[in-house]
Amino acid sequence: MANLEVKTHMSALQLAIVVFVTCAGAQIMLSLRSLIAEAGQEAWISVLFGGVIFYVAVYLMLKLGKNYPDETIVEYAPRIFGRVGGSIVIFWFNLLFFLQIIAIFYGVGKVITFYMFDRTPPEVVILALLVVCTYCALQDFGTILRLQQIMFFVAYSMLMVIWMTSILNLQPENLLPLWPIHIKEVVTGGFSTWSLYGGYECVLLLLPLVYRQVSFANLAKVVGGAFGCLTLVFVLFIVIIIGVLTVDNAKSVPYPVLLVIRSVELPGTFIERLENYLLLAWIPVVFDTLAAQMFFMGQVCMRQWHYLDHRPWVLLLVPMIYVGSIMIDNQQVYDAVSNFTMWAGLIFSFVVVPLSLILSWRQKREAGTGCG
Amino acid sequence: MAKQRIFGCMILLCLSLFLTGCWDRRELQDRSFVLAVGIDTADAGNKPGVKPEQELEVKRTETFVQPHDSKRYRLSLQLLKQETSGNKKQETKTYVISNTGDSLFEMVRDMLGQNSKSLWFEHVQVIIISEAVLKQVGLSEVLDFFKRDSEMRSRIKIYVTPGDARSLLEYSPPSKEAGGIYLADLVRLHTRNNHVIGMRTDLGFINQYLDNQSNILLPQIQMVDKVVKLGDTAVFKRDKFVGYADEYAVAGLKIMFGTEKSALITAECPNHPGHQVVFELFRHDTILTPHVEDGNIYFTVDITMYGNVGELQGDLELDNTMDPQYIHKLEDVFAEEIKRNVLYAEKIFKKEMRVDSVSKFAYKLKAHEPDTWEKVKDQWDELYPEIPLVISVNIFIKNIGAHR
Repeated sequence: MANLEVKTHMSALQLAIVVFVTCAGAQIMLSLRSLIAEAGQEAWISVLFGGVIFYVAVYLMLKLGKNYPDETIVEYAPRIFGRVGGSIVIFWFNLLFFLQIIAIFYGVGKVITFYMFDRTPPEVVILALLVVCTYCALQDFGTILRLQQIMFFVAYSMLMVIWMTSILNLQPENLLPLWPIHIKEVVTGGFSTWSLYGGYECVLLLLPLVYRQVSFANLAKVVGGAFGCLTLVFVLFIVIIIGVLTVDNAKSVPYPVLLVIRSVELPGTFIERLENYLLLAWIPVVFDTLAAQMFFMGQVCMRQWHYLDHRPWVLLLVPMIYVGSIMIDNQQVYDAVSNFTMWAGLIFSFVVVPLSLILSWRQKREAGTGCG
Repeated sequence: MAKQRIFGCMILLCLSLFLTGCWDRRELQDRSFVLAVGIDTADAGNKPGVKPEQELEVKRTETFVQPHDSKRYRLSLQLLKQETSGNKKQETKTYVISNTGDSLFEMVRDMLGQNSKSLWFEHVQVIIISEAVLKQVGLSEVLDFFKRDSEMRSRIKIYVTPGDARSLLEYSPPSKEAGGIYLADLVRLHTRNNHVIGMRTDLGFINQYLDNQSNILLPQIQMVDKVVKLGDTAVFKRDKFVGYADEYAVAGLKIMFGTEKSALITAECPNHPGHQVVFELFRHDTILTPHVEDGNIYFTVDITMYGNVGELQGDLELDNTMDPQYIHKLEDVFAEEIKRNVLYAEKIFKKEMRVDSVSKFAYKLKAHEPDTWEKVKDQWDELYPEIPLVISVNIFIKNIGAHR
């Protein structure tokens, strides 16, 4: 029986945790190779640049939400863009979650099958994880929030402790030269980090829970802190990967994170094959990212079609997610889906949201003029 | 209510079916642990005195039919014997099986016909490749199977042997340890042995070098009269084997790159020629730096070592280690010896083999002078042997040991 712990408000810090947990999930294992291949030696600068630009995107979203403090994007998008335009924006918004979810399920199935359960078909791994995530997504937001808070302190600390052991193999010289910086690669790589930072769009759904509690400045500051933490985590991953493997080695292997951790030998201990421990810490991280994103999809559908409960929508989405992740049957399709998702996300963040903001200001000004 | 309880119990019973065990389980007693891998050419190991017809019989049992009838490699695997309660005093802890063919993976699978249990590679300690194989194909081709398979670990040691790899796998250590573990452990103390190249010579690092198109050094292992020894180094230009460098060159190289942690430097006693004095290194600061002046590239290596007098074979009455003058004299002698050693390594690697060993100089230039590197990277192989190296050595004897 689902726990209908309805949440009507939360603090800015809780929102920051949700943003962090939703963004920093599966992609630290799946996306870093392509980023290093694209940005090369300066990939860590791309991550810093990505942190800044995507924080700007979130800032614009917070501004947009401030204009409608009691509504989510599902309610105000039709008022800004009209009925059809609004429906397209909402569909786009939900599609972003859907594409991220199926790409993550595919990636998880592949990694777990290759490194842990080589006799299990990836479809079974995906199905098992999907069942657990669905159960969680069927709860109400209070439960999910509590889970994310626990995971933030437990799973992420485990993940980081295990990951930091790889510093034993770090060769600082592999990070050189720091100069000259190839601006074009850094900027392109910075935008590609959307696959890492993606998920922050959830603020457009969650802001009504926060806006009546805290000021805009405080919210911007706390969410900025979440982005600072995200950037730090991603930079730590990138720096250690390049420092241990070199750029050429990292871009030649599908999962550089696992290769890095695999080569760690803890002196004086019998602990070996640390990639299994890292994967064990990564699975809960993936789980809560996926559960939250499935919940958000259910919420969008519920609000769009004026239902009172998101649960039927989550259950309806389950077969679509499963089929979607199974249909990504090779790396080329995965790369194409990731690329498409990145562009959809970038356009949503840097075209649709700013446009919504401008239109909303204009509509408010016109309404104000009319009254006057 | 009763119906609900029965229904609940049935569901619990059905769910318990999923708790019977892991889908991917592999029982310990059903595995054969591979400890060492040897790769020879297919015709290696033909024993003198064995009739060709008998040799053919062995080949037939150890090989399989291939449509194109070519056999390139002989793959040997050293497997751990599983001790049973009634068989505790075994002569050796391992046994060796082998096979010939073209694809290493195919040979491994075909070897299941020689072994009753599945072969388990997660505990491979060492891979030994014969020189004959490396004269035919590149290192990259030989190691591809190992770097691709998820069972392999990054820290597997890799050796090159001028003889047969299989005979090393059949070697039974006098300490009665399992052979693969013994062979792998030979290199573990390389930081205390100048003559063994051991730093960054395992599978993970070799893959890294191969991806970076770097030159590679691997320890050489050989067995002479039932004595197994590591020494010398096999030198690769990219992944092509070019020859061996001797142990003195290895020592010079390790000093130059600062990979020594506890080396011994031996020189003639300044007061008593023919007698040896030994410096035991405790700590060093070695910096290899590239310089570019007016477009000319040169490197400097600044070696500063701190250590102890480890052995003195001169006259203890005359060679007073309490005397600072004598200590300074010793410091000069050791510094001279280190310089000679580094210059020897330079001569062997740079002038004779013309190989930038582990591409260290190229890495340094790329890291610290990236603009210059961009200009010279395509001609680096030709340019490197002409690039000067300026050596500066400082030795500080901090202790004289427990006796004067």
